[in-house]
Amino acid sequence: MSFDWSVVWQHRDALIAGTATTILLTVATMAIAVPCGIIVAILRLYGWAPVRALATAYVEFFRNLPLILVVFWAFYVPPILTGLGLSPLATGLAALALNVTAYNAETFRAGINSIRRGQVEAAMVLGMNRVQALRRVVVPQAVRRILPVLASTWVSLFKDTSLVSVIAVTELAYVSMQIRAQSFRVLEMLTAMAAIYWLLGYPQAKLVDWIQRRFAITE
Amino acid sequence: MDFDFAVITDHWRFLASGVGITLLLSVVSGLTSLVAGLVVALLRLYGPRPLRVAVVLYIDSMRAIPVLVVLVWSFFALPILTGLTMPPFVAALVGLTVHLAAYAAEIVRAGVESVRPGQTRAALALGMSRAQIVRRIILPQAIVRMLPAFGSLLSITIKDTAIASVIAVPELMRQSETLAGQSFQPIEVYTFAMLVYFFILFPVTRGVDIFYQRVAHLGRS
Repeated sequence: MSFDWSVVWQHRDALIAGTATTILLTVATMAIAVPCGIIVAILRLYGWAPVRALATAYVEFFRNLPLILVVFWAFYVPPILTGLGLSPLATGLAALALNVTAYNAETFRAGINSIRRGQVEAAMVLGMNRVQALRRVVVPQAVRRILPVLASTWVSLFKDTSLVSVIAVTELAYVSMQIRAQSFRVLEMLTAMAAIYWLLGYPQAKLVDWIQRRFAITE
Repeated sequence: MDFDFAVITDHWRFLASGVGITLLLSVVSGLTSLVAGLVVALLRLYGPRPLRVAVVLYIDSMRAIPVLVVLVWSFFALPILTGLTMPPFVAALVGLTVHLAAYAAEIVRAGVESVRPGQTRAALALGMSRAQIVRRIILPQAIVRMLPAFGSLLSITIKDTAIASVIAVPELMRQSETLAGQSFQPIEVYTFAMLVYFFILFPVTRGVDIFYQRVAHLGRS
C-alpha cells in the first residue's frame, strides 16, 4: 500500500474554493432561516387558526423528512412545474433554508412557550400591553434559552451542507469526491475531506458546548 | 401538466423493497449505536483517565464530521486501509453506528449526570458497590429521562439511512432515485417517497412523545 498525499496539496485551490462555498452556504442558510423561523413561529403562536394549522403542518412536515430527499425534490420538481431552472447552488440553498426554517421555528416557539404564562399575566397587571409584555418580559428571557439550541442547529447545518453535493453544488464534499474520481487517490482525498470538515467543525462543536454552559438555566 | 402515478403502482415491489431496507437499516443501526453508545458513555464516565480523553475526542469528532463523509469514508477508504471489502449495507451499518454511537453516548451521559450526586452518596452510605449504584439507583431513573432524546435520535437514524443512498444501499431513497431516473417521472416518484418517509417518521416521533408522557413520572426524584 502506498499513499501519495501530494494530491491534496496539488488541488488546494479547488479545496479552498469548496470550503468557502460550504461556509457561504451555512451562513446564507442561517441568514434566511432565522428571520423566516421567527415569522413561522409567530404565525404558529398568534396567527389566525387556519394560518396556524398551515404553519404547524409545514414545521411538522419538514422536521419529518430526510434532508437529502428535500434536496433531490427541490432539484427535479420545481423546474418541471414552473419551467424555471435555478442553479444548483440556489436550489441547495432553498432546500437547506426550508429545512432549517422548520427547525428554527420550533426552537423559537418552544423558547417563547418556556416562559411561564404567569409572567405575561403579571406584566399585563402592571399595565403593559401584549406587545410590550412580549418584547420586554418574554423575549429577553427566551433568547437565553433559544441561543444554545440555535448554536447546535448551526453545527448540524454546517454538516448538512455536505448533502447538497448530490445535486453537484461545488462545496467541499462534492469537490473532494470529484478530485477522488479524477485522481484515483481515494483514501487520500476522502481522508483530506474528513480532516477539513473536522478542522472547521471541531471548534464549532466546542463553542456550542461553551455557549450551552454559559447559558445553562438554573431555576 | 399531467401526472401519472401508475409509475408507483407498477413498481411497487421495487419501492417496497426499498422501504424494507430502510426499516431494517434503521432498526439494526439504531440497536448497534444504542449498545455502542452505552459502552462509550460508561467509558467516558467511569473509565481510566487516558481512555476518557480518547473517548471525548471521538465523540466531539463525530459531532464535527458530516455523516455523509463518515459513510463515504467507511465504504470507499476503509477497504483500502484494511483490505476488507464490505457490501454497501454493512458499510452503511458501520458508518452509521460509528457516527450515531457518539450521539447516543452523549444522551446516556446527560441522563446519568442528571441524577443528583446526593443519591450516589446515599447509596454508598448504605453499603452498595459502584456497579450496584449504577444498576439499581442511577440507570432506572436515567433511562426514563433519556427517552425523549433517544426518540429524536431514532428519527435522526431513520433520516440518516437515506444518506446511505450515496453508497448504493438499495433503500427507499436509492430506489426512488433509480426509478425517477429510469421512468423520467421525478415528480411522482420523489413526492411519493416524501409521503412514505413522512408516514414512517411522524408516528415514530409522536409515539415516542406519548410513551414518554406515560412513563415520565418514573424518572422523577
